[in-house]
Amino acid sequence: MIDSKQAVEALTEINQIARRVRQSTIYNLASLMLIMWGVLVFAGHLVVHILPRNALLIWLAVTVLGIAGSFAISASTRARTGVRTFDARFLMAFLLFLGFGYLWTLGLGHFTARQMDTFWPLYFMLVYTIAGLWFGLAFVAIGLGVTALTLIGYFFIGDWFHLWMAVVNGGGMIVGGLWMRRN
Amino acid sequence: MPELDDIIHQPLRLRIMAALNALPATTGLEFVKLKKLTGATDGNLGAHIETLAKAGYVAVEKAFVGKKPQTTVTATAAGRGAFARHVATLQEIIAASARQP
Repeated sequence: MIDSKQAVEALTEINQIARRVRQSTIYNLASLMLIMWGVLVFAGHLVVHILPRNALLIWLAVTVLGIAGSFAISASTRARTGVRTFDARFLMAFLLFLGFGYLWTLGLGHFTARQMDTFWPLYFMLVYTIAGLWFGLAFVAIGLGVTALTLIGYFFIGDWFHLWMAVVNGGGMIVGGLWMRRN
Repeated sequence: MPELDDIIHQPLRLRIMAALNALPATTGLEFVKLKKLTGATDGNLGAHIETLAKAGYVAVEKAFVGKKPQTTVTATAAGRGAFARHVATLQEIIAASARQP
């Protein structure tokens, strides 16, 4: 028989492993989502660079494809691990998040195209950084890294802004997703 | 007071069972991932998984993904029950010690 100190140590060990497993499951799903959104955002910025007048339509298409992709990844993860992720409640939260963004950028704020293209990555990365406080430092690192590079683009990169954003925002998410998978 | 489960109580086997029990029932972990999570070596992990499998606490499934062999380990219903009892016993030991003057 063991004493209470050893029992506490064993329970601590069990909790630590359980936390690592949960974090690993979250990282696995988040990395897939990040890579998928990264590819879409990368393509979106490239197309907007070529067709700037169609920006709103292009970003709407990116959003719809992203939501559909998120559902597909979630369904595949659920079939494999049994963990439910991107469900109706998550979709509702996502739509409220988008609604708030559009209310300010289009409704109340009247942002310019460049401000819009800066606001959205910063807005998404803010959520990523906050989520990182619960789910792991990788989220914080990706969130702050992409935020810093986006601000550099907004202030210092002239006409090549969308190409810059394709690399640092889309590319940043892809690299971040791959990095999460590796870790 | 109920006895601790000797099979589960060994440190590495405790980590293996803790990792598998953190997943939904019927969901397993690949050998490589389990190795990373528990910090074990290949040989050590393999030996302890075998001990757990012999006790009926885990099921081991070997398959090929493409040309690569993949081993997946899943906690069985018996294993989940034994683990839950083991955790309850640990909690009881702590509670009993707290009750002592």
